[in-house]
Amino acid sequence: MARTLMRFTGVGGQGVLLAGEIFAAAKIKTGGYGLKTATYTSQVRGGPTVVDITLDDNEIYYPYANDGEVNFMLSVADVSFQSFKNGVKEGGTIVVEPNLVHPSDEDRKKWNIYEIPIITIAKEEVGNVITQSVVALAIANTFMKALDEQVLIDTMLSKVPKKVHELNLKAYELGKKYALEAMEKGPTK
Amino acid sequence: MSATREVISTGNELAALAAIDAGCMFFGGYPLTPSSEVMHVISDLLPKKGGVAIQMEDEIGGICCVIGAAMSGKRALTATSGPGMSLKAENLGLAQMAEVPLVCVNVMRGGPSTGLPTRVSQGDILQSKNPSHGDYKSITLCAGNLAECYTEVVRAFNIADRFMQPVIVLLDETLGHMHGKAMLPTPEEVEAGIVPRKTFDGPAEEYHPYECGPTDPAVLNPMFQGYRYHFTGLHHDKNGFPTEEIETCRKLIQRLEDKVEAHKDEIESYEEFMMDDAEVMIIAYGSVSLAAKEAIRHLREDGIKAGLFRPITIWPSPAEKIKEHTDKIKNVMVVELNIGQFHAEVQRASSRLDIEGLFKVNGRPISPYEIVEKVKEVF
Repeated sequence: MARTLMRFTGVGGQGVLLAGEIFAAAKIKTGGYGLKTATYTSQVRGGPTVVDITLDDNEIYYPYANDGEVNFMLSVADVSFQSFKNGVKEGGTIVVEPNLVHPSDEDRKKWNIYEIPIITIAKEEVGNVITQSVVALAIANTFMKALDEQVLIDTMLSKVPKKVHELNLKAYELGKKYALEAMEKGPTK
Repeated sequence: MSATREVISTGNELAALAAIDAGCMFFGGYPLTPSSEVMHVISDLLPKKGGVAIQMEDEIGGICCVIGAAMSGKRALTATSGPGMSLKAENLGLAQMAEVPLVCVNVMRGGPSTGLPTRVSQGDILQSKNPSHGDYKSITLCAGNLAECYTEVVRAFNIADRFMQPVIVLLDETLGHMHGKAMLPTPEEVEAGIVPRKTFDGPAEEYHPYECGPTDPAVLNPMFQGYRYHFTGLHHDKNGFPTEEIETCRKLIQRLEDKVEAHKDEIESYEEFMMDDAEVMIIAYGSVSLAAKEAIRHLREDGIKAGLFRPITIWPSPAEKIKEHTDKIKNVMVVELNIGQFHAEVQRASSRLDIEGLFKVNGRPISPYEIVEKVKEVF
């Protein structure tokens, strides 16, 4: 595979870090290379947070995404969307939580922006807001087809306590379902 | 050491794991971003193997109890970031003077003062050379990838016991927090590589810990086992008692310098990446070397023969090796996340004032493209 760069952005405390670790670990399990870096502010809760995920069959040295090279970004906070959107290459895919992120018309021209209410799905349909990182994981992989789904799910389950396995599987399925629907509808204009 | 064990982790976690595998039995410290995970992980692991981890009232207390633990004969670790290094400085000096082996991991963040707590920097290079006042020879190792966050901590423990002094291991925020694959030696291999600290086992009345050859370290037996000595930061005699006797004072401080200087070859470590035919030499260390390697790939695609020289042992610096390269290669550039702290050392080692530099001090990493652009601009 060519190098895949994904970026998850939110605010501190939302748990966007875990999805990145799962992606990197799953890619490594399949024999490739995966790296996750997180950048956050000293304001632990509420500050803009960005997680860069690099996946490649070849060794990766520099762990951050270069500006303009990100293939896929997912954003659940407007402050982070505004700060980090320019890392995404023109024509790249951005999934936003529409209740919290407000792209401009210009943004919608520059990138393929999809709206999926990630937090509402986690909170109301899965029943626990903490599962939003797994919803995000499913959305990212459904869009990017970056990794074998079963490897990703197995890796995810190995990183969460057994008692919440079912809940997280549900989160994954819902994320995938919403992503497929959004892809079917196409990007918002 | 071989690299046979695949571990998926972060630099900070690997540093803690390394300490455990290297036989560390004590951790004392105070959590400080971006080093805190070293403490989190070791606090979990140490009690399980019969060791002790303690959160002290501050970073000063952290290193003080580590000095005490090390005097009992055990391997001991503390971890912190720049502001914590400033606080630990006085007691790093004490450990240098009294010759107490310990390892201090410093995960660098933006400075000075509290600086940029969550951002990457390499601003502590000069601090690690002389954290405390006075003359002594600091030993500082610098991890440049995830695997080295483990192997350099292991090496630090071995060097500390060999030379009887603190060893600083520099990580930086990027390495400490990045999460990926590291190929490591097995714990059995690490254990097999441990050389126990020297002890004196003759009659107690003949024990003189600081009576040693001009390039030898002191021999400090574990406390409370019948071998008594006096412990002080003052200039001291062969039994550790304070003295102002002219020759004793001179010899002591000269020996602190010479015990390292005379055996530099045991400590020296560096990586040469695509240096065989290099016409442009980039010198970088720590996480910046990752960007440099990526940049070198791009530069070579564009027909520019670039290579990387990466010091792993920062202090004492691999000065002779640097000079060997800079005598042959005209185009040399140091890339670092400070305003030229190692650049100055390269100028010194090479006796050249035309060494280029690419520096950054805003808490953001240097990207491969910035290096590519700068190389094309200046050479």
